[in-house]
Amino acid sequence: MSATPLLRIEDLRTYFYSRAKQAFIRSVDGVDLDVARGETLGIVGESGSGKSVTMHSALGLITATPGVISGRVVFHDETPRDLLAGLDTSARLERRDDRIMAVEKDNRAWQKQVERNLDGIRGGKIAMIFQNPKAAMNPYETIGAQISEAVRLHTANKSPAEARERALHWLDAVRIDSPRLRYDNYPYGLSGGMCQRAMVAMALAAEPRMLIADEPTTGLDATIQARIVELLEELKTRFGMTMVLISHDIGVIARLSDRIAVMYGGRVLESGPAAMLLEQSEQGHPYTHALLASMPRTQNVKAGGRLPAIEGEVLDTINVPRGCRFRERCQRMHDGIRARCAEQEPELVEVTPGRRVRCWLYQA
Amino acid sequence: MSRYHQPHDTVSEYSDIRSWRSASLIDRVYVGYGLVVVVLVVLSYLLGMLGWLPSDPDGMDLANMLAGPLTEGHILGTDYLGRDLQTRLIIGIQAYFLPGLLSIVIALALGAALGVLSGYRGGRSEIAVTYVTNLVDALPRLVLMLLVIAAFKPGIYTIMVVLGLTSAPTVAMLVKGKIQMLRQRNFIESAVALGISPARIILKHILWYNCRALLLIQATLGMAEAVLLETSLSYLGFGVQEPTPSWGNMVQAGANYLLQGNFWVSTAPALAILFTVLGFHLLGDGLNNMFEGKRQR
Repeated sequence: MSATPLLRIEDLRTYFYSRAKQAFIRSVDGVDLDVARGETLGIVGESGSGKSVTMHSALGLITATPGVISGRVVFHDETPRDLLAGLDTSARLERRDDRIMAVEKDNRAWQKQVERNLDGIRGGKIAMIFQNPKAAMNPYETIGAQISEAVRLHTANKSPAEARERALHWLDAVRIDSPRLRYDNYPYGLSGGMCQRAMVAMALAAEPRMLIADEPTTGLDATIQARIVELLEELKTRFGMTMVLISHDIGVIARLSDRIAVMYGGRVLESGPAAMLLEQSEQGHPYTHALLASMPRTQNVKAGGRLPAIEGEVLDTINVPRGCRFRERCQRMHDGIRARCAEQEPELVEVTPGRRVRCWLYQA
Repeated sequence: MSRYHQPHDTVSEYSDIRSWRSASLIDRVYVGYGLVVVVLVVLSYLLGMLGWLPSDPDGMDLANMLAGPLTEGHILGTDYLGRDLQTRLIIGIQAYFLPGLLSIVIALALGAALGVLSGYRGGRSEIAVTYVTNLVDALPRLVLMLLVIAAFKPGIYTIMVVLGLTSAPTVAMLVKGKIQMLRQRNFIESAVALGISPARIILKHILWYNCRALLLIQATLGMAEAVLLETSLSYLGFGVQEPTPSWGNMVQAGANYLLQGNFWVSTAPALAILFTVLGFHLLGDGLNNMFEGKRQR
């Protein structure tokens, strides 16, 4: 990564306050990520690992009012711009021994600052697609009108006729057949896969620099999943789109990503080139290895054995234990490092060029 | 080039005005009848305003007092002073038409605003709106109106303002529910991610596209409520005062002649009230089934 990354996330922390439990949930707890121009970064992790919250925080989509976000999210288009700038002035954290004791937050000022930071970025420079596309589109407006709205909002095509032409162009680009007929369809009249295509068209209509796909294939059936993955692959090659792909499906991640970041308990445990992570998983983080081993493969089926599962439960992000977050479920912890694993959390260090792992196994 | 539409039978989840053809017969009858009533009321109101009337509303035909329907010159007969009932019924619409519209506008505007405030912003404003609406709901409406009439001056507009204000909570709760439903389907979140401004999301995508059916239905029910309230208060003598005709005070004035066998003077305005209120209610009911009821079928 020689040039400056398009998006750099530094020490991002997103904490929610749970009224029921009277405690802070540390959904994202110090995440560093780089997304280079033209590359596809896959973020993988199980539910509650903070992968979605990370990108939602970066785009100011976190609305739960007692939520606090800190860190830096620099979007480097022509000039660098910190998407979280100035937020610390409207929220104050009180910490004691690395625990958050209290939060004071001026919600109105916070929200205003978010709007100011993201004006022109959200939807325009960075577009996002969601899982369950039907729920994300306006059910009472035709898909064509919705795409045209995105065109008129973010590009120089201001007249309705021009916007219509552009919208048709994008419908065609996402391989929706007979776009002229589909233009006047309502979301309910489209299949799930078709709707996701329309959603992608809507995101592309703004001609963004970057596309964030949040679980784009979840909730679609297997054949449609494959079609959507093909579509995203095509966007990469045809438009050179920079993408962040969030998924718990490591198969989808493997197909599309240039680089992969593995998240667990609100932190990145490992990041590096996709091929390296997938093929030499035993040289990486034990969690990545276990995750890959639990994937159904032909040789596992042939062997006739049970699919290995990762024992234990997902990390409790309220009472984060001392030491390594994955320690409780780790299979590769040995006596030589056991004490250290329990005592202190390892740093994310480079083990081979481009590959960074957060594990004591590699830090003698 | 031919155009293709989704066959309406397969439209399962959402519907719009286009669903007329797929609506059930009973709903079509409801809405059809309701629309006829609306058109008649609006036309009669305009005729009354322009003064194009069958005869003078205050003119007394002393030769034909308490005449029954289909008397020569008086299709619907005359009252105890020989005044033409048809004319007075038409003029009677003016007693509730504009005031009723006022109460609808207040209920919808305030209700939508409060609904958006609590559903979209959430947090403390939601709690505040919920408390206020519960408080208003708990007050007996008629008592509140009589209080307001006692405190200020008795007037139909005052009453209708109170009606509008007390109807707003219902609208607010419906709008709030709709917004929360939309939020659950991460529709609002994706609109924000698309870079659409909050004002535009609220006005265009939430209120116009997703709440218009609901607001229209509330408007028809609000008008029915307004007619009933105006006539009952006028009947009691708190609303429109004689000699200005209102359906309510016409029923009241005619009631004195019921025992003498002249039931028609009272019955004519009573029937007018019945058919009008029924019309607005059925219109609301039918529209509700067409817009919202699709999902169950």
